[in-house]
Amino acid sequence: MRMAIAQYYPRASPIHRLDPRCKVVAVAALVVGLFLRSSFAALAVYGLVAVAGLLLSGVPLGWVARGLRPVVWLLVLTFVVQLLFAPGPAFYTLGPLHLSLRGLAIAGYLSLRLVVLVVASLLLTLTTPPIALTDALAWLSRPLRRLRVPTEELALMVTIALRFIPTLMQEIDTIMKAQRARGASFTRGGPLRRARALVPVLVPLFILSFRRADELALAMEARCYLPGAPRTRLHPLHAHRRDAVVLVLVAALVVLAELI
Amino acid sequence: MSGDAANGHAAGGGGPAGEGLEGQHALGVRCEGLSFWYDEGATRIAALRGVDLTLAPGASVALLGPTGSGKSTLLQLLRGLLAPDEGRVLIDGLAAGEDGYEERERRIGLVFQMPEMQLFAATCRDDVAFGPRQLGWSAAEVDDAVTSALAAVGLPADRFGARHPYSLSGGEQRRLALAGVLAMRPGLLLLDEPFVSLDPASRRDLEAILRGLRATGMGLVLATHDVDRAYGLCDARVVLDEGVVVDAGPWRFGAGGEDALLSHRLKLPFVVELWRRLGRAAAEAPPELAAAAEALA
Repeated sequence: MRMAIAQYYPRASPIHRLDPRCKVVAVAALVVGLFLRSSFAALAVYGLVAVAGLLLSGVPLGWVARGLRPVVWLLVLTFVVQLLFAPGPAFYTLGPLHLSLRGLAIAGYLSLRLVVLVVASLLLTLTTPPIALTDALAWLSRPLRRLRVPTEELALMVTIALRFIPTLMQEIDTIMKAQRARGASFTRGGPLRRARALVPVLVPLFILSFRRADELALAMEARCYLPGAPRTRLHPLHAHRRDAVVLVLVAALVVLAELI
Repeated sequence: MSGDAANGHAAGGGGPAGEGLEGQHALGVRCEGLSFWYDEGATRIAALRGVDLTLAPGASVALLGPTGSGKSTLLQLLRGLLAPDEGRVLIDGLAAGEDGYEERERRIGLVFQMPEMQLFAATCRDDVAFGPRQLGWSAAEVDDAVTSALAAVGLPADRFGARHPYSLSGGEQRRLALAGVLAMRPGLLLLDEPFVSLDPASRRDLEAILRGLRATGMGLVLATHDVDRAYGLCDARVVLDEGVVVDAGPWRFGAGGEDALLSHRLKLPFVVELWRRLGRAAAEAPPELAAAAEALA
């Protein structure tokens, strides 16, 4: 069983070395900018930034393509719908279908924007380990602590959840195999029957997960974990001059894209 | 299907009460050039490489090997839960896709490592009945199979049938999971580390049950690194290391580098080790002790 979520691609590149907080802010700025202004020129700027980032990161294109795969259908749908239903003089007519240049432009723009959006976010997840990502989000959401939002605890929860996804996948795989060995079939029958076939998988999975959660909580307490207590980190986040440079550069590009 | 049905009727009719597990047609299995790789992202890891193996009907074979040697993978290939990348599995001489293969494959019982992890029903009876119901047996046949399977693992249906599986002890849960496989009336039973994390009493119970099953003529494959129990239960051994069969056949023991168990991160059975040490001690004994031993004999 393979995971479909975009995974971290470990490598020593300038992009990998950036502070995760810097990367989160930069990508967020790009994404917001992308939606603030709809022009091909702005799109080109953001697209170039994303492509430059990708090339610098040295992540193989295959990994990026794999990350894009889940949105392929959305892309096709967006393109086709816009192409068919956008108003404007037709340049090609086939029966009831009117294809207009305006429609083609809108379809192209929307699809490309989606691609740039996904590539920019992939750039973040492919070059940042999940733990660093949650650390960055915890740091960035620190102002919320004033509103008594337990940001540290939430970040820890996310980290633990991420940590156990592969374990859970492994367990689901084993339990499904074991029930198949007892004659269960997960592909037979209609949707209702298939849903019911999952009961022998889900019940043991939940029981195991609860048991593991209990054990993990005990183990954490035994190692003196105290919710709300200030925590230090094994790898504290350090911002360098390069992070500042990248942020200034991204800010400049966003302003440029919004102005042209 | 006809052989199965005939057995079922015999057990339900004039057969000896409570011994529905006897008289099952034992399956013979052969692997030819079996290879299997696990995909780990960009790399492929060989779990088995060119495994040739013959399991005669009713034979009890220990599948020994260090952790990661491919034991579990081999069991799952035999049961058809994984498809081989190379080679094939023959059951009673039939290859996959041939008439009668699937029905025979279903009669290979596989008890996973820590099988109590798969218990899910509200009562022991229902959990054991899961397999037989999936096979589409009639209510009477299911009932019969469940009762005899529960009896075979020492959890009589009248006392344990209505209990919740998670109210049982660890050892009882393991036996219940075994009953779930036995209820499908297997002609060959594959067990993946059946003794792991059981207390000594539960291990003894389970060992006695497996001995009883062997006596009914059921074939056993015991994948384990518990060499002591394997030696006690099985007639032959297959030693697997890094996905390759490095030794197969009846038990035999050599010294140091010559013994497949010792040279592949396993150990000699305790009795063998004891015997060997006694022999060495006797050879080195002072003459008066040797004389005394002779006089006593």
